[in-house]
Amino acid sequence: MTVSKEGAIHPDLPWSRIGWVSFAAIVLFSALFGFVILSRYQENSDPLTVWGAICRGLGITADTAPALSPQPPLRTPTEVAWTGATLGQIQAGDAQHGGFVAMNCSACHEEPAANASHLIPILDGMDAAVIFKQLADYRSGKRSWGVMNGIAKALTVQDSADVAAYFASLPGGRLHADSGMRIPQGGRSFWQGSTGARLVFAGDQQRGIPPCAACHGPGGYKIGAPPLAGQYTAYIERQLAAFAQDIRQNDIYEQMRAIARQLTPEEMKAVAEFYGAPDHHLASSD
Amino acid sequence: MYNSRWLALSHYWVAFAVFMLAVVLGFWQMLMRSPLPAPLDDPNLYYASVTLHGTAMAYVVTTFFAMGFGYAITATSLGRPIRGVTAAWICFAICLAGTLMAVAAILSGRASVLYTFYPPLLGSAWYYSGATLLIGGSMIWVVLMVVNMVAWKRDNPGQPVPLAMFAITATALLWAWAASGVELEMLGILLPRAFGLTVEMDAGLARTLFSVTLHAIVYFWLMPAYIAFYTLVPQVAGGRLYSDTMGRVTFIMFLLFSIPVGIHHLLADPEVGVGFKFLQSSLTFLVTLPTLLTVFSMCASLEIAGRHHGGTGLLRWIAVLPWNEPMILAVGLSLVMLGLGGGGGIINMSYGMNSLIHNTAWIPAHFHLIFGGAVVIMYFAIAYEMWPRMTGLRLRSKRMARWQLWLWFVGMMTMSIPWHITGLMGQPRRVAIFDFSDPLLAPMAPLAILSVVGGLILLLSAILFITILVRSQFGDVVVREPLRYALAVNPPVRVPSALNGFALWNVILLMFMIVEYGYPIGQFFVLKSSVPVVEMTRHEP
Repeated sequence: MTVSKEGAIHPDLPWSRIGWVSFAAIVLFSALFGFVILSRYQENSDPLTVWGAICRGLGITADTAPALSPQPPLRTPTEVAWTGATLGQIQAGDAQHGGFVAMNCSACHEEPAANASHLIPILDGMDAAVIFKQLADYRSGKRSWGVMNGIAKALTVQDSADVAAYFASLPGGRLHADSGMRIPQGGRSFWQGSTGARLVFAGDQQRGIPPCAACHGPGGYKIGAPPLAGQYTAYIERQLAAFAQDIRQNDIYEQMRAIARQLTPEEMKAVAEFYGAPDHHLASSD
Repeated sequence: MYNSRWLALSHYWVAFAVFMLAVVLGFWQMLMRSPLPAPLDDPNLYYASVTLHGTAMAYVVTTFFAMGFGYAITATSLGRPIRGVTAAWICFAICLAGTLMAVAAILSGRASVLYTFYPPLLGSAWYYSGATLLIGGSMIWVVLMVVNMVAWKRDNPGQPVPLAMFAITATALLWAWAASGVELEMLGILLPRAFGLTVEMDAGLARTLFSVTLHAIVYFWLMPAYIAFYTLVPQVAGGRLYSDTMGRVTFIMFLLFSIPVGIHHLLADPEVGVGFKFLQSSLTFLVTLPTLLTVFSMCASLEIAGRHHGGTGLLRWIAVLPWNEPMILAVGLSLVMLGLGGGGGIINMSYGMNSLIHNTAWIPAHFHLIFGGAVVIMYFAIAYEMWPRMTGLRLRSKRMARWQLWLWFVGMMTMSIPWHITGLMGQPRRVAIFDFSDPLLAPMAPLAILSVVGGLILLLSAILFITILVRSQFGDVVVREPLRYALAVNPPVRVPSALNGFALWNVILLMFMIVEYGYPIGQFFVLKSSVPVVEMTRHEP
């Protein structure tokens, strides 16, 4: 093998010029291709103008402009959207004033005699965003249940943020509100024997059912999804049936209706019993 | 090794202890994703484990290894004690504290956001603070590398900086540029939200900032391996480095082309326009150049050594290379994995082909082959080369070391090749459990089991690696052999200042960053596209 006396690359090349010329060539070449040539030619439609191609290359497209024709009103499941403004409103709830508002709630939600059938949910320790959204849905008629629509109409938006903050601040009691701790535990997969635990922790891929726990805990929580561990069995079962029969329709994106429709009555019961069992809140069943 | 001995040894031990823990987690994760029963099968635990495995391997092991390697190189290549030893120990303490904070947060189950953070997921503030300390702390090391190189140049005017020192300084600068993205994301977006100072976070901005780090960090991991290729391998092979200038040009090209390319990790993100995706993909193609130059240099240097050992003909020189040296064996195995993984990487960065494999198991298969394979096997070889110099004791033994390297190679291939195939079949990554009784998933089951076998072989290899290091640490045969770097065929006599420092290249890189990232980052200050977070933890009431 022969190597010239100076080595493979002569060290005395004009490195500064090489560096800057390469920089300019790379940038010009890739900008020309990326912003003009490749952005310009579209499959199945005429080429864009050069200006249109550059805008497309930057990520600004015509469809980012407002729609021209009026759209028909959408059938929305709720009027609540989880924007920063909504979350800020919930966060600003005054728990002290909420406690005063909550005197209206205790007759049914706290009094065992009024709730012998357990169809009225436990609210102590409930997530504030959940209470806020359900009150808004009762107020706008997106969800209907007995006296709740009338009560919600009597409350202002600020009142519902306050009462939500009040219930969220209470110690959980039966409802394990602080079960957001992701305690590592076994038996939470398809290997799980009991139907309820399997649906809660693994779901059922063949029917497109995600695990309940991904949104309702234990372990995972999504904004607006109530924590269920410790909730009344009868209440959960009734709500699943209501979603399945399209009686309750206030789930954004219809995810609860899509899931509940696929469940058999036995599976609804199993899931409700799994969440409702008082000593079950975090443990697996085996 | 002057005053770098304990410094380098402490860094290596932290790196390898964390490495061992992370390998165990990795094996369990393979088991979780397979049809075989796994202990503790809980998806939440899986995500905590993936977070810990990724954080450990991507941030802790690599940063500590590179820092230790940097100190050893500074002392040995410059032939004098390191300046700023106190600062180096402070840096070590900060990085260690950051590591412990992050690990504790992940183990508590409140930071299962994976090591790439995935905003708008929100984890514990302890996790983000720990990672910020670890990455921020390592900037002290960056400064120390630059200070030592500049001080040496001042004391030796007109002399070429030794290639190893030049390369480790390029690595340090590359890391400083790369880490700027994640540090800005942490301090500007994630930490303020984690401390409750903001309500929402701009996921698009956070992801774009992280992309500055995300590809360059891979080159930060690779650099120690490349430094070994250029400066240690030709020496161990008994030959000479093909070209000193080519080595310098290669490391300069890595600095220039590995950072303004990260948007190819965002090819499926809607916020970035197609023009910038193309711009950065073009630069990504250019980053293959220094790698190809390195493969060429490596083969040429090994051929020089082989012919020196008496090898003749077209390929005879390969057979006469000292394959019983762990370093040479590791280079051979590393280049095989680099070739396969590099080919996969070219697919990932291509806009059209990326959409076939985006977010599938192909991606982890690719980076395990490149980083876990080609790079980590060189980390092993470097450790075997350095251990006798740091401890003053003989390595026990080279035969076990060869076994370990072979096991790692076989394990990595057995794990990652089936993994590539399930990726092509559409198996998503970052998913804890699969229902393999589904007819769509059933054909993946045997491949997933094969991957588990690969994972088991890797686990055995890692145990063997730690065993060799511990045994060598308690050896009794004292050796005294200084670390020698490869001489070039034409040793540099004088080098133009452009190839003896980084001023020019830092300015060009700054221009690249402005052109390539100015608009993609700047647009978010107009778009104001913040979204609510998805809390992966809940604070106790």
